[in-house]
Amino acid sequence: MTDLQERPDTALDTPKPDHVGVESRGHSRARSLLKHLVLIALGVVMLYPLLWMLSSSIKPNDAIFREPGLIPNQFDFSNYTVGWDALLHPFSHYLLNSAIIVLGSVLGNLISCALAAYAFARLNFRLKPLWFAIMLITIMLPIHVVIVPQYVLFSELGWINTFLPLVVPKFLATDSFFIFLMVQFFRGIPKELDEAARLDGAGHLRIFFQIMIPLSLPALATTAIFTFIWTWNDFFSQLIFLTNPDKYTVPVALRTFVDSTGASSWGSLFAMSIVSLIPVFLVFLFGQKYLVKGIATTGIK
Amino acid sequence: MSALSELSTLRKQKGGANSPTEKADGRWSLFFLGPWYIGLILITAGPLLASLYLSFTDYDLLTDPQFIGVENYTQMFSDPRLIKSLQVTAIYVFVSVPLQLAAALGLALLLDRGMRGLALYRSAFYLPSLLGGSVAIAILWRQIFGTTGLINQVLSIFGIEGQGWVSHPDYALSTLIVLNVWTFGAPMIIFLAGLRQIPEMYYEAASIDGATRLRQFWSITIPMLTPIIFFNLVLQLIGAMQTFTQAFVVSGGSGGPADSTLFFTLYLYQQGFASLNMGYASAMAWLLLILTAVLTALNFLLSKYWVFYND
Amino acid sequence: MRSFLSTTSRPRRRLLTATLVATTALTLTACGQADDTSAGAASEGAEAAAPAEFDPDEEYTLRYAWWGSDVRHGLNQQVIDAFTEKYPNVTIVPDFTDWDGYWDKLATGVAGGDTPDVIMQEERYLRDYGERGVIADLNDFDIATDKIEEEILSVGEFDGGQYGIPTGINVYSVLANPAVFEKAGVEMPDDETWTWEEYQDIAIEIGASGQSVFGMQDHGYNEPGFMVFARQRGEELYTPEGELGYQDETLVDWWNIALNLQKNGGQPSASETVELETGGPEQSLLGTNRGAMGAWWTNQLTAIQTAAGTDLELLRWPGETEGERTGMYFKPSMYISMSADTEAPAAAAMFIDFMVNDPEAGRILLSDRGLPANTDVRTAVEAQFTAGDVKAAEFMKDLEDEIVDGVPTPPVGAGEVAAILARINSEVLFERMTPEEGAQQFRAEVEQAIG
Repeated sequence: MTDLQERPDTALDTPKPDHVGVESRGHSRARSLLKHLVLIALGVVMLYPLLWMLSSSIKPNDAIFREPGLIPNQFDFSNYTVGWDALLHPFSHYLLNSAIIVLGSVLGNLISCALAAYAFARLNFRLKPLWFAIMLITIMLPIHVVIVPQYVLFSELGWINTFLPLVVPKFLATDSFFIFLMVQFFRGIPKELDEAARLDGAGHLRIFFQIMIPLSLPALATTAIFTFIWTWNDFFSQLIFLTNPDKYTVPVALRTFVDSTGASSWGSLFAMSIVSLIPVFLVFLFGQKYLVKGIATTGIK
Repeated sequence: MSALSELSTLRKQKGGANSPTEKADGRWSLFFLGPWYIGLILITAGPLLASLYLSFTDYDLLTDPQFIGVENYTQMFSDPRLIKSLQVTAIYVFVSVPLQLAAALGLALLLDRGMRGLALYRSAFYLPSLLGGSVAIAILWRQIFGTTGLINQVLSIFGIEGQGWVSHPDYALSTLIVLNVWTFGAPMIIFLAGLRQIPEMYYEAASIDGATRLRQFWSITIPMLTPIIFFNLVLQLIGAMQTFTQAFVVSGGSGGPADSTLFFTLYLYQQGFASLNMGYASAMAWLLLILTAVLTALNFLLSKYWVFYND
Repeated sequence: MRSFLSTTSRPRRRLLTATLVATTALTLTACGQADDTSAGAASEGAEAAAPAEFDPDEEYTLRYAWWGSDVRHGLNQQVIDAFTEKYPNVTIVPDFTDWDGYWDKLATGVAGGDTPDVIMQEERYLRDYGERGVIADLNDFDIATDKIEEEILSVGEFDGGQYGIPTGINVYSVLANPAVFEKAGVEMPDDETWTWEEYQDIAIEIGASGQSVFGMQDHGYNEPGFMVFARQRGEELYTPEGELGYQDETLVDWWNIALNLQKNGGQPSASETVELETGGPEQSLLGTNRGAMGAWWTNQLTAIQTAAGTDLELLRWPGETEGERTGMYFKPSMYISMSADTEAPAAAAMFIDFMVNDPEAGRILLSDRGLPANTDVRTAVEAQFTAGDVKAAEFMKDLEDEIVDGVPTPPVGAGEVAAILARINSEVLFERMTPEEGAQQFRAEVEQAIG
């Protein structure tokens, strides 16, 4: 029968021997050192722009472009305090608004996309390929042409300047990306597990909750992380659907630091960009553990 | 179209058309797909079809759309900037998607397991992707690829005089491709999740059989990962066809210098919002949809030959 | 479908709504909710049509939209607070974003029938919104404009209506950094007499001084410099009839000046020019002390001075005494407009009047939108100007006798011209097009854009 077992957590910084320990110990240590060196070098290149942003955020506003070097000549944390209070509300207000939208979206996407994905991955119903194609087609139009009709629609519903247009669609599985993602993961789960469960008298609901969901934790974590990050960064639809500054979110607020036609508060922009990166970074740091902790099937007899 | 190939894979499943399971499953599908059906009808389909209608009109956003038949579509054939934007997009799609996926897969394999500081590395490599389309990207990119940027500073050590890569018509598109590869975090995470999903038992069985690591990689990891590779390929292609934000931010919305980064969607946006030709922009969007659909269908057709499903 | 049939209210939303409702109805037979709200919208629309006096006992809510950065948002909020303190029965909801986002949001809102009541406008889009009936003719309302100079006011006037009231004025001028001149060992020009020839010599000399500075930052991507150049020859970019009013030769000469500078080190390479173009004031050559001169609006002086950390001088354009007339002009930096279907036109008019004519508002805004267009307000707030503003104000006073007239309101479609010019300018600078080809291409594309 099936044997479900937690896969050892490899994120706990305990180097585990590879699947096949054929190589000698010294060889593998040199290899690992090389690997670290490559990764660190790569990491520096990857992170250079971010470090530059961090460094700029602690420079005085007028020195940012006059002294663009990576090491600041003088430290000035006032960008953080000034930037925090520069807009109509303290920056925490926008962080909170973003958090509400993000949490709603994550919840919505997890539930609705998992349900839809199960149907596409495991059920047999009429015109399934057609519906699947339609699902993919709905994400092939650029937002700039659907935003106006969407605006009219939400305006008719009286939803403009509320969070509804940003959250409700997520509960209705409009993010095809995640449906398709989960379909691929569900299809990777051996069908023998379903059949075994069905022999035990389980219906679709039980298979869904007791096999699919636990076995696709990595996919669910991916969905949650991505929904969090993408919603957190989504500028255009939040700009269009939210008209009152009380409802503004982080990306919309960040834009208001710069004006290509006049004076811009670059220091505040960089400082608040760093601030707004912190929640996503933390979510990622903790969320990525679930990419490792996924339960894997270890044997079917 | 893509339905066709899906069909071929689905047919292989047990219980063909009109079987009792299909009937029972049909009722369940209403439950599982319920939210999606409602969303399709209430939220997605309306704006989609409205944009199709608008593509046959002259619509400036400020006044009523006027029906003009296929004029927008015929106009596209004689629009040199549109053709230019198709070229830019095509180069971008066919160069940056494979590069980005290769980088993502490579790093995902490196960062899969069995080493110190894994969480830290993963986060470090993912960080750039967090920046997304932030306004800061434009500044950051100039700090690297600008005339006085990092690259040129490094080149000058070797006595080479560089130039403004990001702002030269011959190189600007390449820097955007690099920018896209730089943000490989999303597909990397999906690959990582996919690697987690591969049942341990296959590796165990293989090592009992004495298969080398390389052999395990080619005969277990890669085949088991193909559905995820396929997913990333399809979605990154669809996404790359619509590339907008990075080009918009880096070129200040112009698609410049000299239209060298005029992506299709950027041009569409300029038509729709800057020039207030939303009718034309809608027609462009439907052209893009058709091209993307053909590409995706092709992808599904070819997937038969290399994607391995467990079911 | 009620919304399908309601023909009187908000016509610009009708067809789109119809499409949406029809597609939805195909799959879903009942859509009660949409019907209810659109019926409500219909009655609101009817009310808006009725003329109304400002009633101090009635509650009004206005949405006021503008673009800018955090500094302006703070100032505008203060203006709103000052106004609502005077008229507590009016609530003003701000709606602001950066320049690019602003126009997307505005157009989408208009398409959806949610036009903000009071709208900040810019010359390039004024006619687009005015001729299409989105914004109201402000002559119908009680807003004093007699303290605004006629040549400024007239730019907001077309089709027999006043569609925008200028809030502030600017002059496009040459900014110069005396410190860089000194470092390069080049004397500052006498801006009352310098010619285009001298301008080129100076810029190239500075570039050749070996101090790794440039003489000038390219500004050919923006129309106003060319406008000055053309006007000096008695031509205009746009005629009052909304057509192109210059000779191709003029544009060719204009580009040849830039190419001369570029070839001889007077201005940066084409690719660096492109970088500077997207960088804004803070990242400009002047802002980073890497250049001696740049072309900017007077209200950008303070921002660039701050970035550079040094005092700059305002100069007249070269050739002002060389050609057949002077080319410089006062430009209204922004306009205030009113939605044509606002529900509270009387209150909106009061608010616009307050922003334009009340010294209290002037004291808050100072030079944020350029120097106050209302001359009384300008005098009243002069004492509070920053050093940069004082410099700008004095410069403008000096110019008053020299400036001949304003430029005509740009035609519908002029919003696109800036992008066309920027693109062809870089084609010319990268030498992928000759100035002659560029001029031809520019004329062809602009003629199509402005129809």
